[in-house]
Amino acid sequence: MYSTVTKVAARTEGLRKVYGEGDASVEALRGITLEFGAAELTAIMGASGSGKSTLLHCLAGLDEPTEGRVFIGDVDITKLSERHLTELRRDKIGFVFQAYNLIPTLTAQENITLPLDIAGKDVDQAWFDEVIDTTGLRDRLAHKPTELSGGQQQRVAGARALVSRPEIVFADEPTGNLDSRSSEELLKFLRGAVTGHGQTIVMVTHDAKAAGFADRVVFLSDGNAVDEMLDPTAERILDRLKSLET
Amino acid sequence: MFRATVKSLLARKLRLLLTALAVVLGVGFTAGTFILTDTALKSFDDLFGNVYAGTAVVVQPQTAFKPGAAGDGSGTTGTPIPANVLPKVQAVDGVAAADGSVSSMPVQIVDPATGDVIRNGGAPQFGNSWDPDSTQLMTVAGESPSGPDQVAVDAATASDHDLSVGQRVRIITPTGSGEFTISGIVKFGGSNSFLGATLAIFDLPTAQKLFESVGRFDFIYVKGAGGVDPDQLAARISGVLPKGYEAITGASAAAQQQDEVSQGLGFLRTGLLVFGFVALFVGAFIIFNTFNIVVTQRSRELALFRALGATRRQVLSSVLIESTIVGLIASFVGVLVGAFLAVGLKALIGALGLKLPPTALVISPRTIIVSLVLGTGITVAAAIAPARRASRVAPIEALRESVAPSASIRRRVIFGSLVTLAGAVALFAGLFGSVSNAGLVVGLGAGLTFLGVAMLSPLFARPLAAAIGRPFRGKISGKLGSENANRNPRRTASTAAALMIGLGLVAFVAVFAASLKTSATATLSKVLAADLTLNSDQFSPFSPQLAKDLAKNPEYSVVAPFRQAEAHVEQSDTFVTAIDPATAPQVMNVEMDSGSLADLSEPNTVIVSRTEAEGKGFAVGSTVNMKFAATGVQPLRVVGTFETNGLLNDYTISLATYDTNVEQVVDQAVFVDVASGVPFDKAKADLTAFVKQNYPSVNVSDQAEFKQQQLAAIDQVFAIVYVLLLLSVIISLFGIVNTLGLSIYERVRELGLLRAVGMSRRQVKRMIRVEAVIIAVLGAVLGLAIGILFGWAMQQALKDLGINTLTVPVGQLVAMLIVAALLGVVAAIWPARRAAKLNVLEAITYE
Repeated sequence: MYSTVTKVAARTEGLRKVYGEGDASVEALRGITLEFGAAELTAIMGASGSGKSTLLHCLAGLDEPTEGRVFIGDVDITKLSERHLTELRRDKIGFVFQAYNLIPTLTAQENITLPLDIAGKDVDQAWFDEVIDTTGLRDRLAHKPTELSGGQQQRVAGARALVSRPEIVFADEPTGNLDSRSSEELLKFLRGAVTGHGQTIVMVTHDAKAAGFADRVVFLSDGNAVDEMLDPTAERILDRLKSLET
Repeated sequence: MFRATVKSLLARKLRLLLTALAVVLGVGFTAGTFILTDTALKSFDDLFGNVYAGTAVVVQPQTAFKPGAAGDGSGTTGTPIPANVLPKVQAVDGVAAADGSVSSMPVQIVDPATGDVIRNGGAPQFGNSWDPDSTQLMTVAGESPSGPDQVAVDAATASDHDLSVGQRVRIITPTGSGEFTISGIVKFGGSNSFLGATLAIFDLPTAQKLFESVGRFDFIYVKGAGGVDPDQLAARISGVLPKGYEAITGASAAAQQQDEVSQGLGFLRTGLLVFGFVALFVGAFIIFNTFNIVVTQRSRELALFRALGATRRQVLSSVLIESTIVGLIASFVGVLVGAFLAVGLKALIGALGLKLPPTALVISPRTIIVSLVLGTGITVAAAIAPARRASRVAPIEALRESVAPSASIRRRVIFGSLVTLAGAVALFAGLFGSVSNAGLVVGLGAGLTFLGVAMLSPLFARPLAAAIGRPFRGKISGKLGSENANRNPRRTASTAAALMIGLGLVAFVAVFAASLKTSATATLSKVLAADLTLNSDQFSPFSPQLAKDLAKNPEYSVVAPFRQAEAHVEQSDTFVTAIDPATAPQVMNVEMDSGSLADLSEPNTVIVSRTEAEGKGFAVGSTVNMKFAATGVQPLRVVGTFETNGLLNDYTISLATYDTNVEQVVDQAVFVDVASGVPFDKAKADLTAFVKQNYPSVNVSDQAEFKQQQLAAIDQVFAIVYVLLLLSVIISLFGIVNTLGLSIYERVRELGLLRAVGMSRRQVKRMIRVEAVIIAVLGAVLGLAIGILFGWAMQQALKDLGINTLTVPVGQLVAMLIVAALLGVVAAIWPARRAAKLNVLEAITYE
């Protein structure tokens, strides 16, 4: 049913996630098998409670699946120890969250290089410059997060996600707190990373306009992957969402 | 509102526990001090009550004053009662029996197993005569001593050193040493031991001979016939006594002794309470800090209360009620902890020689009330400022994402400077001025100074913390930790301030002790000229017979005894030293400012130290009215003034003058010069062997050893102070734990983010640890700075007493910094573990 991609960056096999026990248990994911293509921007959409955030958390190794497997590249991350998971997040994964993305005591530049600093790695200056130039934040690097606008903060978070050249970037409602202009700037920036540098990005969003920037949209409903769309546009996505609701 | 307060308290049990702990320890120490001293008093009361239970009247010499608890060690201070007084007393109507008694100190029992004198810390070593009619002593094994060859010893000494009836022991008395057979084991007033003292009991004629009291008594104990009123009996006996003696009832003799003891215990209580108050003061900082942080964290909740219609007063009282509950619970637990601490303190002073008889702990209502009032009062007082801040939270803040605005920095600077200034003024007035109750004023000044500096500390917390954090910034965890320490300078500063107080006092003591030691060494090097010094451990005096023995030996060219006695000059208590003006110049360098040392050989003369002479206006030719216990006021002519030194006290008289005015002559030290032609090592070895054989309690030291011994004595005193200050340092550690714990609670999302982007648990722990170390070192740096200043002020104030040079023990202070950093690491253990354990997903989605 779902397209097989040429090169797989991450995939799930029969992924189930159950919260709670007994009568109070909630099945957030009901056995999802999906592939995420390398150098693609994949959007995951669905109503709230559809399980899209849970899927992202399981993919990123932040949450532990009840059943099934998750691969980042060739590595089955469900078998990794806490320490190796931490290293995986540090070295192979980038994150952009909806809010509270930045450490308030660090400057924009220090926030961007945070994963490299945590790993004790040197910054690739040329790559850093390139990322900064695409964010358009060069003159804001010495500022603390509180001195940046919401859009700027999210772009700093985006730059942080990219600067360590991770295998995959997970973005959880990255435009959720932004106005439409800032949203578009951020999405263009993420899109550019995929098109220009072959970065793999998986993004959870409920915003059709945001999903319109993706190469592929996966639709979730009640913990199941129910549909997908290649080369989407915002209008087609809205139509599909309507048809899914009915 | 009250229910909401209680609920919010219970919801954060751990915070409650940590906050309360700071109060618990301070209250515990204070309560422990009261419990200990009350218990000690009770056991003394019991003891003396027993001792005098069967004695209706005591006849004793009148003395000009009662030597204090820190007496010079003489067994008796008045002129003994002539033996012919006894029959007169016995003839008085209503007297059933009357017996004379003699006592002496020190009378030392030599442990047959080790050959050393038996001594329990600083406790005295008594010798007494056996009184067949007295209820003081009871034989529990064997027989009472009889004849020149027999002795009875107290039960505690016997069991501690495996002495048994029939065994031979060597005993050192004022007239020399001899071997005796143990005839019996005795209890004193129903107790195995007389407060740790060793007792050697001889029959009356033997005791009189050994104690140089033939034909004399120190006391006459009278038993009344049935139905005779002791007061009337005492009055009747007084009628037959010659001048200079008094008859008092057994009950008032017991009361007199109890008074002396309670006076001594009063000093102990005051001394210990000081440390308890310091601990409470430190605890107050922690309470203040905790409530401040909590109010900040709860500002949205408080604003919601306000938006729902709660008045400012209600918010204010909700925080104050919370603090009252914390204070009450903590104080109550503190009293319980105090009972345990009292047991520990009892062991501590027991190690110093004051062995208290085993008695049930006395927890008086006063102890409980004072503890509850003090603990709760301090907690509520510390919470007032945070409560006021809480009441100012505007309802609108419930809807905003902002932190409550903090009071203006300018007001803090002005107020903090004023408090610091007031503290400094009080401190200097107490040290240099002539205020009454100087100790209290100095204490108040020190407290205010700490408070003021704590208020000002947020100003320099940022640069200082940044500087301290610099070495850690190489790694990201260190950099983040150091940034976190700088994030809220007020919080960091007031957490550090708690440690500042404890370490400030430790540093002060270290600086003062080092200066004292430097000065003591310098003075001793200058003053001490004797080749060898004989003195007893714990500064207890010994028999003058030793000096007489040595004088006959041609190996020694000079044998100069040195004596000491308590005396009063113009109402103030002082110790007068006595030397032989003829030999003194050969064993010590006394620098005379005026007059001459040789003139001291004239009768009834005195030389006075420069500081005392200047202070009291004495000069050569003037008269010092010195009151001796035995002989009352004696006018002494000043024949010289001398530069204050470490050996001679403010007033120094000749041995001859001393002997006529002091009842029991004992030597405090003997200075010896080796005769020319005799190899020093041989002379020293011979002397050591002789002393070891005959006077085991006496040490022989050459100049270097003597200095070392004096320094060790200083160290020993200060070691106790360090131990007591440790309490405050421990309390301040709880403050660091508390602040870090609360900060983590505030930064959960941030921690989640760091973990999400790949920070390992170890790195998180390191980050927290760095923050803790920075806080601790900041506190230490401020504390050391204040401590050095206090030390300097103290040294300046005591310059006249011979503390001439300020010595800053750099090595020791650096060690304190390192220890502070390590304490920071310890304080971080629990918060770091908690931070590292946070569930990443829960943390990043935390609201």
